[in-house]
Amino acid sequence: MSEASSRERSSVWEEVLSHLFLVLFVIFALYPVLWVLSTAFSAGTAPERSIWPIPREPTLQHLIGVLTAPSFFRQTLNSLVVSVATAGVGIGIALPAAYAMSRFSFLGKEAGVRVLLATQMFPMVASAVPLYILLEYLGLLDTRTGLVVCYATTSVPFAIFQLRGAFDGIPRDLEEAAMVDGATRLGAFVRVVLPAARPAIAVTGLFAFMSAYNEFILAATILGKEEALTLPVVLQRYVGEHDAAWGSFAAGSLVVSLPVMLLFYIVQRHLVSGLTAGGVKG
Amino acid sequence: MARVVLSSIEKRFGETRVLKGVDIQVPDGGFAVLVGPSGCGKSTLLRIIAGLEETDTGSVTFGDRNVTDLAPRDRDIAMVFQSYALYPHLTVRDNLAFGLSLRKTPKSEIAERIKEVSAMLGLDALLERFPRQLSGGQRQRVAMGRAIARRPQVFLFDEPLSNLDAALRAQVRVDIRKLHDRLEATSIYVTHDQVEAMTLADVLFVLNQGCVEQSGPPLEVYARPRTRFVASFLGSPAMNFLTAEAEQVGDRLKLSAPGVDLALPPLTQPPPKHVVVGIRPHDVFFAEDGGLQAEVDVLEALGSESFAHAQVGKEAFVARLPGSAQPARGSTLRLSVRDEDVHIFDTDSGVSLRAPEAT
Amino acid sequence: MTTARRPGLRLQLMLLVVLTLGVLTTAARAQDRLELWHAYRGDEKSALEQVLARFTKQTGIAVDVLQVPHDAYPSKLSAAAPRGHGPHVFVDSHERLGDFLQRGVAAPQNAHPIEAELPEKALTALSIDGKRVGLPLAYKCLALYVNTALVREVPDSWEALTGLKQSLPSGVYPLAYETQNVYFHVAVLHAFGGRQLNADESFGLVGPPAVQSIQLVSDAVARGALPEEASGALVSELFRAGRAATVISGTYFASDIGDQVAYRVVPLPKVAATNSALAPYLTVEAAALTPKGARSADALSLVHFLAGAESAELRARVGKQVVTRRELPEYSKQSPFLSAFALQTQSAVLMPASARMRSTWEPATRALKKALSGAVTPAAALDEAKRRFDDVVRPPPPPASPTPLLIVIGLLCIGGAYYLYSNAKELGPRFRESLPAYRWVVHAVVGVFLLVVLPIIVGAGASLYAGRLGEMHYAGFANFIAILTARGGPLLTSGSFYLVLLVTLLWTVLNVLLHVVIGFALGLVLSRPALKLKPLYRVLLIIPWAVPSYVTALAWRGMFSKQFGAVSALLEAVGVEPFSWWARFSTAFAANLSTNVWLGFPFMMVVTLGALTAVPKEVLEAAEVDGASRWQRLMRVTVPMVVPAMLPAVLLGAIWTFNMFNVVFLVSGGEPDGTTDILVSEAYRWAFTRQAQYGYAAAYSVLIFLLLALFSRGMARAGRTKAMA
Repeated sequence: MSEASSRERSSVWEEVLSHLFLVLFVIFALYPVLWVLSTAFSAGTAPERSIWPIPREPTLQHLIGVLTAPSFFRQTLNSLVVSVATAGVGIGIALPAAYAMSRFSFLGKEAGVRVLLATQMFPMVASAVPLYILLEYLGLLDTRTGLVVCYATTSVPFAIFQLRGAFDGIPRDLEEAAMVDGATRLGAFVRVVLPAARPAIAVTGLFAFMSAYNEFILAATILGKEEALTLPVVLQRYVGEHDAAWGSFAAGSLVVSLPVMLLFYIVQRHLVSGLTAGGVKG
Repeated sequence: MARVVLSSIEKRFGETRVLKGVDIQVPDGGFAVLVGPSGCGKSTLLRIIAGLEETDTGSVTFGDRNVTDLAPRDRDIAMVFQSYALYPHLTVRDNLAFGLSLRKTPKSEIAERIKEVSAMLGLDALLERFPRQLSGGQRQRVAMGRAIARRPQVFLFDEPLSNLDAALRAQVRVDIRKLHDRLEATSIYVTHDQVEAMTLADVLFVLNQGCVEQSGPPLEVYARPRTRFVASFLGSPAMNFLTAEAEQVGDRLKLSAPGVDLALPPLTQPPPKHVVVGIRPHDVFFAEDGGLQAEVDVLEALGSESFAHAQVGKEAFVARLPGSAQPARGSTLRLSVRDEDVHIFDTDSGVSLRAPEAT
Repeated sequence: MTTARRPGLRLQLMLLVVLTLGVLTTAARAQDRLELWHAYRGDEKSALEQVLARFTKQTGIAVDVLQVPHDAYPSKLSAAAPRGHGPHVFVDSHERLGDFLQRGVAAPQNAHPIEAELPEKALTALSIDGKRVGLPLAYKCLALYVNTALVREVPDSWEALTGLKQSLPSGVYPLAYETQNVYFHVAVLHAFGGRQLNADESFGLVGPPAVQSIQLVSDAVARGALPEEASGALVSELFRAGRAATVISGTYFASDIGDQVAYRVVPLPKVAATNSALAPYLTVEAAALTPKGARSADALSLVHFLAGAESAELRARVGKQVVTRRELPEYSKQSPFLSAFALQTQSAVLMPASARMRSTWEPATRALKKALSGAVTPAAALDEAKRRFDDVVRPPPPPASPTPLLIVIGLLCIGGAYYLYSNAKELGPRFRESLPAYRWVVHAVVGVFLLVVLPIIVGAGASLYAGRLGEMHYAGFANFIAILTARGGPLLTSGSFYLVLLVTLLWTVLNVLLHVVIGFALGLVLSRPALKLKPLYRVLLIIPWAVPSYVTALAWRGMFSKQFGAVSALLEAVGVEPFSWWARFSTAFAANLSTNVWLGFPFMMVVTLGALTAVPKEVLEAAEVDGASRWQRLMRVTVPMVVPAMLPAVLLGAIWTFNMFNVVFLVSGGEPDGTTDILVSEAYRWAFTRQAQYGYAAAYSVLIFLLLALFSRGMARAGRTKAMA
């Protein structure tokens, strides 16, 4: 009797403690976001020193300023096109390769895996210049295609790891059943394996999208035209070494972050399963 | 419908020889069961028949078609997988229709066949569900239905019952046999379960270490196992084996060991000094002057019958007793066995010394 | 057969369409337009745009304009222009043009009658080795802005000016300017007779004048007469709010403050102690041609137009520029503002234009910040700066003979060929068996090899070369030797490879530890079956992952700002005086750390959630029945079962953190004094600042790679998992 009630009491305490702990970290997680929000809607170039992330003299001036800046629409489009194409092309390249890595054994597979892993360790700083020269040689400087080519291929190694893990988790029986049922290997891959791997593909696609959407060093180097710029490059200019338009930066950040956060929200259901099945596991 | 012939199939994975020259013939409309312990190569053999695995040597023919080099989809087969391999993103209906629509079967005919199959297997209520919403038994039936809907030349079953619980397994076993009789298609069935093997097969192939050890109608294989392996594999509880000294005494073959004293009709050739004597638990009966003396360790009473776990000499021995028998622990049973129920194997090769030569 | 193929085709077609769309939209651009790059902001930018509009209207030649952020300007230009990309015309100040000419960024131009309209002094600044590079547009220098409401009589000396503190309302600084900015400080240095770069091209910011100049400034800061660590934004904020009576700044300041404050501009005061005036740098802003522009008559006429009278009038009136014309526009003559600046230009010191000059900025800035923060004595900080300077400008290692390398490569090739030959029997069939698989990977192999592996190989190969881009020579292992011997200095001095490595290790270990601990704890709590609001918590806690990392980094930099940061406000609320987070290693490092922890914990949380699904409930129940306490169940059952699943993610996280450039670069920027730099950001600085010693940076990258490869090998060995290898 007393045993049972003490158990109950401890579980109530646990519940309370769990919530406290979670709320603490929710505050930690949300605070910077709210700070950006309040800065975006506060008058003045820089926010005031205040604990409470509440807009002071609420205004839409920054938001309107950012949205009506010349080329803003064009730059947003750039970012979206580049990121979507990166995700599409990156996944398109990685899918068959990851499938082959998961299902076939072939000469050079082990070496390939090692090379892919190694590419993750080499800092971009040193390969940026050769890449620049290569893009120039291909005539892709200053173009969205050039960016897509760079981003897509750099996102391929991680995507291959990720998807190979996902494919490993899909029983071979499935595509064999499809092949017995009358499909080719490719047909079985497209009609059975891909649909079964949808969560992992969504998550991998999200990562590829984000890597392209967030990248600014390469974009700042490669792009040389105002209307070719992507949003990160534009945003960074607001708070460069000699500028401090924090209001505009914050408003721009909101506009930029919104699509990714939305995507994240849509995909987050799959995040756990996608990651577990996926490359992070190997 | 077609006769399936496999001749001199060999397969190696790297250094391991998985199949060492397998020949199999399944008559048109026959139900063949490939049985053997895990690792015997039976699944690989089935996958070679399906075309999912390539054979290193030999050929596979269906009827008069040599399908050795054909892709699975061109072989006109259907397969039920151990895991059922239902397409998780498709409803039951679409799972059933999958193979048909790949073959461009007209829509009306697909609908017709789905109707027929779902009636046959009782899937009507499940057609719009997804596989994850089904129980194990239902999934199994969908997997069967998917194969049946295709109306293939050959059905392949890869341990289709191993994921079901015992009661369901017994029932589905009967259902499969019924379906086969109705569809009259050639079926090849892989299992490690000797009950399934015995009950389903028209013709049984016992595989061991990449070779067919024995084939034939199940009862014949059961009654006259050609090797100690086959003898031990079929029957439950398994056959008892006792090492005995053999001696030709006049026109009788005397087999003696501690607790064993048997006299049998002679073998066709002179016996080796030591042999392995095999006796099934079900073949013994009480007899005052029986040649076997077994000391009871444990008695498992099942009501209709009992199994006495006993020792003959120093060797373990299981005997089936009538349900009424209640021997005390430690008591000694005197058992007898009919001459034709005593199996004699060579100690080294395990080959039966009594069974007639293969025909 | 065809049925099964169709969806595959459809997929490929879609990819093709996406690709072509991308190509088409970018390919459709005009070829015969001029391009112009500049780094102007505010009024100057609009003036330039108006000038260009007039040009287009008069000539029919369209001009595309790109505004490049000031800090990215030189590296971007020097990446594009020498290869025939980038603009036809660019606007930059004279001190960079000599170097640009040498590296083929800028092209010389022939004498032209328009030069007669331009002042001799400005033209001389643009003459390099007898060649004319660009035409002058405007002078740039600093002067004193005076809030006329606060100060009526402007004192003529620094001492008197800062002494106004007593008479001004409380909270008002008598003087404000970017004290930590060397460009500003040099004005004070000049008053003491010092130079940033001596006539013999040696580092000038050492010795008594430099020390005295810093002393003067830090005294004023200590007295509260100067705001500490003022950024440009803060200075304009102060002036606009009437909290700074006077401000030292350039013409651009006018557009920052608008017309909220009544002010006038006067030349800089003198230092009473030396009786000489503060003398700011004079720079000459010029419109110059790139080699691409030099081939275009249109581009040349654009340069002439920019330097012409009509343009000058606009730039003076709209852009508030001190235009360089012999005959000044009417507006310039009448504007007291422009006249004051024009007056100041006469006493300003022309900024040296040599290559070594550019290498003075980074060490000088670091030393200035360090000395003003009071962390070390000015003398010590400046000595260190001189050492750094000498380090950066040390002559590149001598060319080495590539023969040993070639021999090694040759041997490797022979060895490889022999291996192939001797194993041909075995590899041949394996290769044939692999053919079907190759069809699936070939495009990935080609793409990754071409665009990822090849640049890496080339980049790694560059580590054996020395010198600046475009003029590199083979130097053997000289770069590695220089790095690993800390360029001859003490091994643990600031900026040495080993110290940076230690910081990087500390950074990686702390980050990964915090990520894992926080992520694991959250994952554990979130996987409690009875927890209410679980989906909500999960969505909210994942947010940091969803926000673009550069937004995060910049936002956190803002939050740590001493002036307006929320963190400072928080500390203030609990009674801690706001302080500059970037002044000390510990606080700057902590700021970086908290940013990156914020950024990374959701990933580990999600990984934990995934890994926890691998722990069956039965096992935990079995442990409970066996009498394990809650803690014991966690440590002895859950953790051991989760570790193998998490290890690869942790390994990957460690690799990412080790190379986490964004946070370090954007949050602390290496401050203070480069101590919070990690190996990658250090490599970045060598590659893109510090005279673009690309080979040296490449050697850093190779070392980073080797470290990580070694580390992950070790992990793979130690760990029970084979997953990553």
